[in-house]
Amino acid sequence: MKLRLLISDRLERSENLYIELRHSDYAKKITMSIAKPLVDYAKSLKQQKGFTKSFSAFKRMVNYHRRYPWHVAAIVILAVIRSILFSLEPLYTTFIIINVLGPPTNTSLLPGYLLVIILAGIGWAISNFILTYVHGAMSQYIVRDIRTEYYRSLQGKSFSFYDSVGVGDLTSRATVDLQLVDMFLRTWLGTVLNAIFTTIIIIVIIYPISPIMTLISMATMPFIFYFTTRLWTDTMPLFRNMQLIMGRLSSYIQQNIIGMKTVRIFRREKDVVDGFKEVEDIYVNTAINAGKIQSIYLPLGPAILTLGAALVYVYAGYTLGARGSPLAVAQVGYLILFVRYMMRLTFPIRDVSQTLGTWIAAYAGIERVLEMTDAPRIVEDIPDAKDVKIEEGKLELKNVTFGYVKDRPVLSNVTFTVQPGEKTAILGATGSGKSSLIYLIPRFYDIQAGSIRIDGTDIREFKLASLRKQIGVVLQDVFLFSGTIRENIAFGKPDASMNEIVAAAKSARIHEFIESLPSGYYTPVGERGVTLSGGQKQRITIARALVGNPKMLIMDDSLSFVDAKTEQEIQSAIEEATKTRTTLIIAQRFSTIKTAEKILVLENGSVAEFGTHEELIARDGVYKKVYETQFVQKASPILEEAGDS
Amino acid sequence: MSGSYGTFSTKQEEKRKRTVPDRVLIRRVYEYAQANKRNLQVGVAATIIGAFTGLAAPYMHAIAIDQIITPKNLSGFIWWIPLFAAIILSNYVFQYIQTYQMRIVGEKVVAKMRDDMMEKLQVISLRYFSEGEAGRIISRPTNDANTVRIFLRLGLTSILVDISSILGAFAIMFYLNLRLSLLAITVLPVAIVLVWYLGKYSRAAYRRTLITTSGLTARMQEDLAGIKVTQAYVQEKETEKKFLRSQDENVKATIRAILIGSSYTPFVIALRLIGTMIILFYGVNAWLYGTITLGILVAFIEYQFSYFMPLVDLVTMYDQYQSAMSAIERMFDVIDTKVEVADAQPERSIIL
Repeated sequence: MKLRLLISDRLERSENLYIELRHSDYAKKITMSIAKPLVDYAKSLKQQKGFTKSFSAFKRMVNYHRRYPWHVAAIVILAVIRSILFSLEPLYTTFIIINVLGPPTNTSLLPGYLLVIILAGIGWAISNFILTYVHGAMSQYIVRDIRTEYYRSLQGKSFSFYDSVGVGDLTSRATVDLQLVDMFLRTWLGTVLNAIFTTIIIIVIIYPISPIMTLISMATMPFIFYFTTRLWTDTMPLFRNMQLIMGRLSSYIQQNIIGMKTVRIFRREKDVVDGFKEVEDIYVNTAINAGKIQSIYLPLGPAILTLGAALVYVYAGYTLGARGSPLAVAQVGYLILFVRYMMRLTFPIRDVSQTLGTWIAAYAGIERVLEMTDAPRIVEDIPDAKDVKIEEGKLELKNVTFGYVKDRPVLSNVTFTVQPGEKTAILGATGSGKSSLIYLIPRFYDIQAGSIRIDGTDIREFKLASLRKQIGVVLQDVFLFSGTIRENIAFGKPDASMNEIVAAAKSARIHEFIESLPSGYYTPVGERGVTLSGGQKQRITIARALVGNPKMLIMDDSLSFVDAKTEQEIQSAIEEATKTRTTLIIAQRFSTIKTAEKILVLENGSVAEFGTHEELIARDGVYKKVYETQFVQKASPILEEAGDS
Repeated sequence: MSGSYGTFSTKQEEKRKRTVPDRVLIRRVYEYAQANKRNLQVGVAATIIGAFTGLAAPYMHAIAIDQIITPKNLSGFIWWIPLFAAIILSNYVFQYIQTYQMRIVGEKVVAKMRDDMMEKLQVISLRYFSEGEAGRIISRPTNDANTVRIFLRLGLTSILVDISSILGAFAIMFYLNLRLSLLAITVLPVAIVLVWYLGKYSRAAYRRTLITTSGLTARMQEDLAGIKVTQAYVQEKETEKKFLRSQDENVKATIRAILIGSSYTPFVIALRLIGTMIILFYGVNAWLYGTITLGILVAFIEYQFSYFMPLVDLVTMYDQYQSAMSAIERMFDVIDTKVEVADAQPERSIIL
């Protein structure tokens, strides 16, 4: 049974390395209904009125403006100027009607009035241009600040955070969601100020002409205000839900595409699509409902205003001018002024409505971003952490208990010691806690009980940076950044000299290969670079771990199914790299296990066996069984040689 | 972004030229709308009629001024008020129908296309999902679908409303006064040329923004995919520096695009005001000679407002239209992918 586990373990690893690492949950979920969590989530979204919550998010958004007081001041001043200039044209048109058309007719005034209209227009255009620009630039700066804050917080998040959140989801929060925030920030202040100032200026101009007509025209404002608010409060929860569902739906699609192989293996295609359609339906219905509410309230504002204008006409018709006699041009001129101003108010009202719409989207966006920014870091420096130099490299684990979820330990009571310069190979089936164990050493996760000491100092007393810098790490996932090979090898020590880099590459047995490439160490890898095999990537990551010349090394050597030559090269690289360093290595190859001073067999998170090869063979336990059934039979001639010696 | 390199290949994506003509794409989208044919027909009709009823207000004002208020013929309000109220009400109703129906069409069409894509993705060859392709594929049912959704929801109705408003305003203006109309539209060709010309700069600047945005996305994606390595080697500060550089590039490009984009309005407004000035100048003279009434003169100024804004809107809509078309093309690209039978028993060998 053990053997079976080990074999399937290795097979799965090589084939589904990616899925296993980043979506370990996915394979588990797949045996249930895949889409169930998503469907449940979409259904669980309540239509609560998120008014107060939205207000606190709004306050937080406003706070980001504090760093740009000059931009805000410029926007306020320009908004005032813009509103004044916007209101001049109807006023001067009325002056033309009254003073030019007369009576008495006086065409000599016409050019002057026209000039004012043109100048006001040009002034409006220029102030509008500057305002749009300043507003847009400020918005970009604020979005940049929010994104930088987000990025910095992500840099500090622990492995367990990344185990539960997808990279695609995190990226789309910083791009798509922040774009929505940007849409709001680009115009909101200018729009709100414009609506306020324009209304005030218009009232100031028309009130002295006719207080009663002013009251009639303004009587519509409360209705418009009420309906605009209704539009907002009614649709906001719907739009928010839509956005949240869409966020989940996107990561669902992403998981599906990245894990397509797994989906096919387990034949869950239909489930994937059915679940998707179900959630998509919820989304579409929510969107249509929101559309219905919008279609009721959106056109209402302008309609009410227009009806208000009709009231002004009727009132004017009945009261202005002498009974029965034709109305004076002057009075008609004022009437036109009133009506045209009322029509002008439709623009700020429409703009405010639109801004509220962008706020709804921006609110969901900023919420998604801040949710991550505010998430705790988990693994942190303790208050009096120090820079500690590792002199010897003695590693002691005492009663270490650890679990990703509380009360469900993955490792329990693990105790063993690795002497300075010694190598300990770790064996165990999938889920036995091998990776978890080695990840505890550089504090990628914090233990729940027990202690881990290096040279007698508890690792929690190290500063995180100081601890990690002194431990070379080769992770299971052979990740290379896009850039040159040189940059990748020198990743942990960007100022490393060429000699150091070549030395590391030589130890990792990758130097000759690199030299054979057209641009040698300057060959780019990644999207537009050379394609490297898994074995080559792994040796580059080994070289990367060696550049800082660390005293200790932890390695997750999970690469299997490579040809004999590569196998030999990797083997030789590992042997060279671990010669003088305290090493913990998850081993796949017998040759690795054989060269280790100690072997640790993990079973269900506990130490089943620990000792030298000879000791464990003599013990006649799990290790001996695995050794005989797997390694001896399957070993290549070279390995057999090693095994026989 | 599968495997080891966490980068999107969106850069190439944007540079790619479109090959399928617009009308083919439009016809295929129209086929998707067949299931909601009724909604579409009602929606489009309501949109057009709604735009026309929206144009009636200035004309009604002119009538009130010229025929009722000025001659103090107040009994005219008996028919004017109900008529005006009816027009406003029908305008409201048509707008309501338009918004609602078009929303249904937009959401359902995109949902259907997305469902088809998802179904297709489950059956096409696994080779399709090879290294570096995942990011590209993911963006089709998500980003592309969203672009099309927004276009169908807002862009399409805007285009219909704009065209109807422009044509309607022209018709009314020419009907009211031919001479003044011809004078009023003299600024139009200048405006079109100017907006188009600025649009070219603006489009170039916008494309640059898109490229830096996908660069930023790629950077973020890669940094997060490699975060464990970064933390293991304590290189958070170094990667952050690179990220901030890429972000600054994006911020700069966007601000530039905003600068160019916001230069539209001053020119357009200036031109519109020149138009208003021409109307006022000749209008006042015409009034003195008794060939035009005060109501018509004011209506002209308002109508000039009603066709100028939609025109600018229409030109700026061009970008939205283009990006929606590219998104539609990419979505059909997935839907049309051929299924290879060889994949029927995928990866049996590795289960053992």
